[in-house]
Amino acid sequence: MTESASPLRQMTEAPFTRRAWTELGYAVVSFPLSVAAMALIIPTLINGPMWALSTSAVRWFGAAARSLARRLLGEDVLAPPPIKPAYGLKVATSDGVRLEEAAKKAGGKARVWESRPGVTIRNLPRERVDQLIAEAGITPTSLREQSVFTNWMNERALDPVAWRARAYFMLKLPLSAVGLAVIAGCWLGGLFFSAYPAWRALGLGGAFRGNGFSSLPGSFDVLPLGALLLFVAPWATYAITEADRRLMRGLLGPVSAAERIQALEKSRAKVVDDSAARLRGIERDLHDGTQAQLVALAMKLGLAREKLYDVGGVDMARITQLVEDAHRGALEAIADLRTLARGIHPPVLDNGLADALATLANRSALPVELITDIPERPSAAIETIAYFSAAELLTNVARHSGARHATLEAVHVPGLLRVRVTDDGAGGARAVPNGGLRGLAERVRAVDGRIEIDSPQGGPTTVTIELPSHA
Amino acid sequence: MRIVIAEDAAVIRAGLTEILTDRGHEIVAAVGDAQALLSAIDAHEPDVAIVDVRMPPDHTDEGLRAAIAIRRGHPKVGILVFSQYVETRYAADLLAMRSGGVGYLLKDRVANVAEFDDAIGRIAAGGTALDPEVVTGLLSATRHGAALSALTPREHDVLALMAEGRSNSAIADRFYVSERAVEKHISNIFSKLGLPPSDSDHRRVLAVLTFLNDR
Repeated sequence: MTESASPLRQMTEAPFTRRAWTELGYAVVSFPLSVAAMALIIPTLINGPMWALSTSAVRWFGAAARSLARRLLGEDVLAPPPIKPAYGLKVATSDGVRLEEAAKKAGGKARVWESRPGVTIRNLPRERVDQLIAEAGITPTSLREQSVFTNWMNERALDPVAWRARAYFMLKLPLSAVGLAVIAGCWLGGLFFSAYPAWRALGLGGAFRGNGFSSLPGSFDVLPLGALLLFVAPWATYAITEADRRLMRGLLGPVSAAERIQALEKSRAKVVDDSAARLRGIERDLHDGTQAQLVALAMKLGLAREKLYDVGGVDMARITQLVEDAHRGALEAIADLRTLARGIHPPVLDNGLADALATLANRSALPVELITDIPERPSAAIETIAYFSAAELLTNVARHSGARHATLEAVHVPGLLRVRVTDDGAGGARAVPNGGLRGLAERVRAVDGRIEIDSPQGGPTTVTIELPSHA
Repeated sequence: MRIVIAEDAAVIRAGLTEILTDRGHEIVAAVGDAQALLSAIDAHEPDVAIVDVRMPPDHTDEGLRAAIAIRRGHPKVGILVFSQYVETRYAADLLAMRSGGVGYLLKDRVANVAEFDDAIGRIAAGGTALDPEVVTGLLSATRHGAALSALTPREHDVLALMAEGRSNSAIADRFYVSERAVEKHISNIFSKLGLPPSDSDHRRVLAVLTFLNDR
């Protein structure tokens, strides 16, 4: 969403943006998916075994919904963890209640049998249970592991990921149905009314026969209603998909702290890989650039020295040429080294992000309007990420967009740094695998930031990055 | 001498061509990657190939692998491996094939034009030219460290120079001693390392390198 464009322009352009169309596509395609999911979920709610048997399929529907959202909405919901293997132990003992308490305290699940004295303990390793039994001073009369089949049924019937997916589809189906009705109403009504005189002329305007609209001049009166519906349609679609996004983030992604840690570990691994790749890149640049230039320089000077001691007479012209070449080579090496050093850490960043961005904007190949409002400095890591993100975005603008003008905006409000690059280029920017934007998105996400790319075909492109102040 | 250069950095390729042409050599081909190097060797059968270790596409050890391939296919072509780093493993790989007619020099060495030219001459003649840093690396990496520690510092230096491919008289000049004294050092080295002495320069180098590679 572009706050920089005027609200009126936004309103009028809304039906024609790429976003409006992908959201409409999502609303249409996700509906049959929800219907199919519910056709599976509702009948299998009847009993435990059916829960277990439907779990894989329900998970598949969840994954399909995530993938649809990723493709059409750019909403990247993290995949939840796989089914957690269940492991159960049946302990026959007269002291079941104490063992149940101990097992629950140890983080497992336990249930005392009602029929005969004993307790079933789940999700604790065997050794831990043995330890608990010893600590409680209990001598069980028997102790046996649950069968593989029972474990299989348990882990599936109670799979939290599948249950959350069921909840998602139960909320999603009515949302989708109502949403689709509203959206279809807006679009079809809009198209119908905005072309009403034409229908009227063709004798198809039956709905209004006999009222004021039925005359040809009167039929033009409904045009504003048609236009209004057409412009409301994308906003209705947006509101409904936004609600869906929220449902998805809440119900189809990982939720527990442990799962969140898992997701963070993944993103940390990406950051580590990323910084290793950056170091490799710097080494390559040094090896192929500065080092090679200095070797060439040493060669020229070596040859010049040889010539100075040439017994056959000193060829001043040749020596002058060699020294000139060496001199030029030295200047080139210095310039390249400066560029490289700035790429590692721009010194001006020490003065604050605003100064660094100003330098960046000045150095850019195309005119960049800079708007900064950074009353308080974010942490150094965030400043660095913001700087390199802005640098990469401006490079993209200069290289790919064909824009004539760009705006770079950096605003820091308590807790949040927002960097936004807008250009008047050709648009169509996407985060493709291994692309610059994807790498950028990963770096931003690694510090719990957000990136939003709005780039319809034909432009304009707005990329907004939001970073926490401290990371 | 007819020389093929394989080096991906254009500045260095140009510099090498300039220096070697200036010294009266003929550069029959100057290429930027290993594939082109192999074709150039097939086409020209040069006296010496100067090969950069890191070249496209992966910038790892393409040059070295090409050098080993040349060693197999064209044993008469002398090879000078040319690198910005010393990688003892590379040197060992290269020398493991056969120790004559190879060299491994840091790119810095080219700044001393006369010595560089001298090294190329040695390689073309079937000798060796190892960078002092390569030798140091090989010596410290060898598991015969215990045997080597029996050498006096002077004998150690002499062995290092031998490994670089220097002749007795060159070693004598370096240390301002008589050739006779150098010969004495060398026979001491051989006896301490348990290697049979021999009068041929080349066989001595071979012996040293065999020892260095016997890890």
